[in-house]
Amino acid sequence: MSSDKPILSVRNLTKTYDNGVQALKGISFDVYPGEFLVIIGLSGSGKSTLLRCLNRLHDPTSGEIIFDGTHVEKVEGQKVLNLRKNIGMIFQHFNLIPRHSVLSNVMMGRLGSLGTLKSLLSLFSAEDKEKAMSYLKLVGIEAKAQIRADQLSGGQQQRVAIARALTQNPKVLLADEPVASLDPATCHVVMDYLKKVNTELGITMICNLHFLSLVRQYATRVIALKGGEIVYQGSPEDITEAWFEKIYGEGAKEVHVN
Amino acid sequence: MSTKAAKLNPKRVGFDAIFFAISLLIFFFVMTSVVAQFSETFAFISKDWAALNMSSLFLGFGALVFLCAGLCLLFNSQGVATLGEYLFSNSSRKQEIAHQPFLKSFYGLHLLITFAGTFYLSAIATGASFYELTDPDGFAGAMNLFKGLINANFDLLPLAIIEVIETIFIAFLATVIAIPIAFVLSFLCAKNIMVHPVAFTFYATMRTLLNITRSVEPLIWAIIFSVWVGIGPFAGMLALLIHSIASLAKQYSEIVEGVSDGPIEGIRSTGANAVQTVWFAVVPQVVLPYIAFTIYRWDINVRMATIIGLVGGGGIGTLLIKYQGQGMWPEVGCIIIVIAAVVWLMDTSSAYIREALK
Repeated sequence: MSSDKPILSVRNLTKTYDNGVQALKGISFDVYPGEFLVIIGLSGSGKSTLLRCLNRLHDPTSGEIIFDGTHVEKVEGQKVLNLRKNIGMIFQHFNLIPRHSVLSNVMMGRLGSLGTLKSLLSLFSAEDKEKAMSYLKLVGIEAKAQIRADQLSGGQQQRVAIARALTQNPKVLLADEPVASLDPATCHVVMDYLKKVNTELGITMICNLHFLSLVRQYATRVIALKGGEIVYQGSPEDITEAWFEKIYGEGAKEVHVN
Repeated sequence: MSTKAAKLNPKRVGFDAIFFAISLLIFFFVMTSVVAQFSETFAFISKDWAALNMSSLFLGFGALVFLCAGLCLLFNSQGVATLGEYLFSNSSRKQEIAHQPFLKSFYGLHLLITFAGTFYLSAIATGASFYELTDPDGFAGAMNLFKGLINANFDLLPLAIIEVIETIFIAFLATVIAIPIAFVLSFLCAKNIMVHPVAFTFYATMRTLLNITRSVEPLIWAIIFSVWVGIGPFAGMLALLIHSIASLAKQYSEIVEGVSDGPIEGIRSTGANAVQTVWFAVVPQVVLPYIAFTIYRWDINVRMATIIGLVGGGGIGTLLIKYQGQGMWPEVGCIIIVIAAVVWLMDTSSAYIREALK
């Protein structure tokens, strides 16, 4: 699979925030189509910043990001929106619109393809609605389509968020700590759906995690960040005790999520 | 104790100097007014200072402030804590200062004496007098008026009701027209929406304009508009409209500034543009608080419309001033009862609706 051309290449990416914090210090890696790439690291290691640079929710300070042949760091205006359309994203806190129904939340994934006036009047096409329903079915939550999003449990909300990202028709899906605010049981349900999206729909996955046991179970490749730099890159099976201590600091113990 | 102040905090010195200058002035006026009780010459002096011209007043006060700044720094260097030092210093010094009992500390006594002096001067300025409050003639007159109010003349009831409905309509129209204007302005006046430097300049200008508009009383607006469009309900409505736009825009924009960022990020990540992001991520979060504030604004506007009526803004206020001017107390009593009933009704129902919206 990974013999193809990379779908995303990152070269010497740095990000320094206005307050002087250097979140990323020269990151380089490639992502190949169909991969389930997991980025691990402590909080503050730059994982979230990295993902947000990839779809320009944050602007990188220097370096190159090449996605599907375009220089992500150089695009402006409408092209940024088109880029985001092609890169779905889910978040630790789901980031749904609480007062809208589940279906309406999922259809918001179509906003990037809908004219401003049409979207303000909520004139989504029947096709969009059908698509939204089919993705709700994929994440097993179609029965709740008419319920308000804030009445769902955390795990259910994250599945709605996955469906919303899928309606964008993305080539890559970014997941920023998708299970960090869920209990261990729900955690696996959500991760299983992400795996399903990865294998069945062939959508490339870039996922931030901090549980190593989840990494071994789901990732096809791992990148470890520490202090804004890559300290490990390779197969999840090769992460030994020594690597673990290097990533998470001396005396860290691995916690298993079952 | 005489720890040398590491850095000169301009806020602290400024606060201390001005507060010191004001307290010294208060002390001076208290002294002259006390002495004036016994001596005619001092009474003359304490009245005469108002006749001084502006520039010498400003110069005098400025010199006093400078003097006080030096005085405060001298105090601080001797380890005596001033109020400004207590308020603006870092937490370790703050704790050191707070350790001494309030009444035994210099800033505590300073605050207390200034407060007492201000209270005394306020009583003098108000002309508060027990003698006048207990004057039997005055009391009898007030009782007479009060009797008239209690024996309200309900023949006036139909007219009062028609006029109070006009007042409610004035308030309603002003509120309704203000809503869409304030709605649009609220996003343009929210710091978290207007992040782009150009947008931020616009934000700052709009905020200042709204603040100025809001600080001009509706009563003044009513007078301005009654010259513009003629005396009557329309002028009153315009006055309330201007005030409502400024108030609602401020309250709305504060709600916008308080929305959570999560949904905004979520919508932006789908490739939505700025307008779509505001509409889908911000608006759903603000709608209910907006409605609550709007109902409350209507409630306020009904009360304000009554007051504006007093200067010819139409409605029940105009009716009230008409009968009051002729000393027809039973009729005034009837109008007051109608106003009280409407205010109470609006107040209760708006509180009830706002509670239900939570």
